[in-house]
Amino acid sequence: MDLALRAIVLYAFLVLVTRVVGRRELAALSPFDLILLIVLGDAIQQGLTQDDYSVTGAVIVVATIAVLQVGTAYLSFRSKRARRVLEGNPVVLIERGGVIERNLNRERLSLDELTEEMRTQQIATIDEVEWGILEANGTISFIKRDQAA
Amino acid sequence: MSSVPDRVVLRRDRDLAGRRHEIWIRRGFVAVLAVVPILALFNLFGQRPETLTATAPAATLQVEAPGRVRGGLLWQARFRIFARATLNRATLILDPGWLEGQSVNTIEPSPVNETSNDGRLSLDLGTIDAGHTFALYMQFQTIPTNVGHRAASVSLVANGRQVLRVRRSITIFP
Repeated sequence: MDLALRAIVLYAFLVLVTRVVGRRELAALSPFDLILLIVLGDAIQQGLTQDDYSVTGAVIVVATIAVLQVGTAYLSFRSKRARRVLEGNPVVLIERGGVIERNLNRERLSLDELTEEMRTQQIATIDEVEWGILEANGTISFIKRDQAA
Repeated sequence: MSSVPDRVVLRRDRDLAGRRHEIWIRRGFVAVLAVVPILALFNLFGQRPETLTATAPAATLQVEAPGRVRGGLLWQARFRIFARATLNRATLILDPGWLEGQSVNTIEPSPVNETSNDGRLSLDLGTIDAGHTFALYMQFQTIPTNVGHRAASVSLVANGRQVLRVRRSITIFP
């Protein structure tokens, strides 16, 4: 029982943390972010199973997390409101070559980061972008003017 | 003029209509998260030891042990008895909270005798001469399923009579 409870509490905590830290931090994995992710995983594992090295314990934890994952995915598939809470909505950052600074600030994104992201998608200038959208999963998608026309 | 991408609602996703409060909810949760390490720095979740002292004409008893611990932690308790008069058959009596869900790794020096005194652990230390200090060290590990708040007081008994009592409790976080 204890393991299942731990798994539920830590899962809920992780959902909360991933929602509040901001989506860009989760989508962009710099080398430091990768190390941080490994450290987080290790910290969570220790709190989750502690000194339980049994196969039964591992099965309980994995099964609990799998059920929670399927449950939240189903909930967000069925309910618009749940999807909004669990995943969030996209945010428009560029519209017809113009940066919406208010939205950029809200997502703690600098113009440098935005243009860097553009360059990774072979876009040199903001003028070329019809729509720049920060998606719910943290990635930024760009629709070029010639594509949108 | 180009069309808006499918499923993107400009009022919601560009103008953020009805979403202005979201940032404050997020900031609120971030603030709550920030409170956790601050509370941890103030020892709210253990395991910094606290020192409690009780004094009587015959002796002083000092107990140094954490009042808050977490599942799986290794920790130490130090009991110091400063005898001003000779204490015959000196005995330390520990409340059940010291042992409930705790693994006792070591007791140094080993007591002359150990027994149960109305459900409490009784450690017979022998005679402590006047002017001497007796130090007893105990090392524990908290069993992870042990969660809660328990009385963990300590009594010093000599010749079958209570000389001192240090009142304390222990809180165990999951």
